[in-house]
Amino acid sequence: MKTRHIQYGASEAERDYYRSLVKQHGSPLLVVNRSKILQQYNTLKSYLPGVAFYYAIKAFPHPEVLHLLAEAGCHFDVASEGEIDLLKQLQVSGRRTIHTHPIKKDSHIRAALRGGSTTFVVDNIDELKKLIPYRSRTGVLLRVSFRSESATVDLSRKFGCAPGQVLELATEAQSLGVHIRGLSFHVGSQCANSDMHVSAINQCMQLIDECNQNKKNPMNMLDIGGGFPVNYVGDDIDLDTFFKPVGQALSQLSSDINIIAEPGRFLVAPAVTGIASVSGKARRGDYQWYYLDDGIYGSYSGQLFDHVIYPLQIFNTDETRTPSILAGPTCDSIDIIAEDVALPDMADGDLVIGHMMGAYTYATAATRFNSLAGANVIFVD
Amino acid sequence: MKEFQETLYDAISQNFRIDKMYFEQKTGHQHLMIFHNAVLGRVMTLDGVVQTTELDEFIYHEMMAHVPIFAHGNARRVLIIGGGDGGMLREVLRHSEVEHVTMVEIDAAVIDMAKKYLPNHSAGAFDDERAQIVIADGMNYVRETEDRFDVIISDSTDPIGPGEVLFTNDFYAQCKRILNEGGVMAAQNGVPFFQIDEVKNTRLRMSAHFSDQTFYSAAVPTYYGGIMTFAWGTDNAALRGTAIDELRARYQNAGFRTRYYSPEIHIASFALPQYVQDAI
Ligand SMILES: Cc1ncc(COP(=O)(O)O)c(C=O)c1O
Repeated sequence: MKTRHIQYGASEAERDYYRSLVKQHGSPLLVVNRSKILQQYNTLKSYLPGVAFYYAIKAFPHPEVLHLLAEAGCHFDVASEGEIDLLKQLQVSGRRTIHTHPIKKDSHIRAALRGGSTTFVVDNIDELKKLIPYRSRTGVLLRVSFRSESATVDLSRKFGCAPGQVLELATEAQSLGVHIRGLSFHVGSQCANSDMHVSAINQCMQLIDECNQNKKNPMNMLDIGGGFPVNYVGDDIDLDTFFKPVGQALSQLSSDINIIAEPGRFLVAPAVTGIASVSGKARRGDYQWYYLDDGIYGSYSGQLFDHVIYPLQIFNTDETRTPSILAGPTCDSIDIIAEDVALPDMADGDLVIGHMMGAYTYATAATRFNSLAGANVIFVD
Repeated sequence: MKEFQETLYDAISQNFRIDKMYFEQKTGHQHLMIFHNAVLGRVMTLDGVVQTTELDEFIYHEMMAHVPIFAHGNARRVLIIGGGDGGMLREVLRHSEVEHVTMVEIDAAVIDMAKKYLPNHSAGAFDDERAQIVIADGMNYVRETEDRFDVIISDSTDPIGPGEVLFTNDFYAQCKRILNEGGVMAAQNGVPFFQIDEVKNTRLRMSAHFSDQTFYSAAVPTYYGGIMTFAWGTDNAALRGTAIDELRARYQNAGFRTRYYSPEIHIASFALPQYVQDAI
């Protein structure tokens, strides 16, 4: 069980900064730091040179974020027509995308092709057959399942074929006239270590070699997915320790292989800060309740869906603290951000800052519960 | 430097330099551009696919209009499905014996935009009193109309996208219904070298409704991949065999000059490469 981290107190400059943002833009807010996103992108590039990055739009599907990354040369992982449309608005060519959803309706395939997205991910024979009508136009990555024990979010249960099925699928594809460009995997999100990435890379390398022995169209792409971790609190992730073995494993690949990755969380998580404020409070039983203007149906939805507990910060350093509950604004009882936390007395309008709130927060916040508008997304440099 | 990169195929693509952007529209799922390229002149693209360029549009439009009309020899009423840029209308109206052309375009905005940014395509054809412009879904139109035509030209977009219905069984059936006896339909059918399945599909669907079904071809350079095919459907098997002397006489009588079409090209265009023959 992960525990909540609360930072009590803030420098005067910090306080002024957050308060002035609220004064200007209202509350609640999600504040996106552009330079932090670029910094994360550059960090990835330096750890994994030669890898082409396809930002997993789902992590924070905001046009400004896409624009920023597009300008920086990043490519995009799309999984729906809506995500393709976001790129269309920004005039990002479909050629800079791959479509990574393994399960598609025919209408999804057609919409992707119209959007110029021509590389598709597939993990079984039925899905492969859906591409037959479009085989002259498309390329395919076979998604292989490698489950990481250390991932917070397991993404190799729902999708991916077993490594043992790859050769058969590749052979089948060849006889159907569908071109397999290479392999892809996604070991899971927020992986504490890179053991599974390394092992998956090595196994894929062997599988590609094996498949290429009797194929006239050699595979030449390996997509290592996402899963690159960030430090929430207590994750204690050392980037060198995580990335060096991955880079090392990739350097063993033949130079014919194009390597791509689909980072989501790593690019955006540390770049976004949530600002909520106290709307009202009540004493109930043993607890002091504070009702905030953002919650589980809003930016804090990631606590439910993404299994993350965001580090919080309040400004009051008073050491007299009572057991408290931070609740969200909806009428639902599940809408609680933090149970049983020790808080000093707070007043209406006091701010609660949530850190590391970039990945899978805004993305899952778009509920209509109580018709609440949700946090305003603003950008700073 | 801005570039247009075509998104038709995963493994290959053609690139055009964008020297000046005239028009760009992103409505709903659609992305339309008109830009200038130093070699090609004005270029129109839809959803990452080249639709027409000023440099080579004459090949496409002449071949799609003049082959069926000269083969028919007495076309009074012509139906164009699509063709919002006006190039097809322009070529059809050059035939003085054509008394009436109905052009059915799904999107009025395409016509307005083409008049403004691709004026050389229609070259005034929209003002011709023989032309009637209908803004409607082509499929609905052919299903519902009581009008009849001697020649139907389907100037559609790619089958993946808005033009999809214009490649269906039902569409061919309805075209047949509204053709006068001895009439003929011609339909854009893609580049067979890279899209042989489209030839096979059309063959299957169209030949269910017409006793004579084949393809003819022309190379339109900016439709990347070699020759493109035009589907041909009629119950008058004699049309495709119209003799060269007859075609020469009709061409002579028509009294206009063409830049790609000639009676000789007309005859030759029905000769298909063996790989296309094998597919059909
Ligand atoms: C196919 C695919 N690629 C990439 C990602 C992004 O993963 P992460 O945010 O862990 O980098 C996801 C996340 O769900 C995914 O499903």
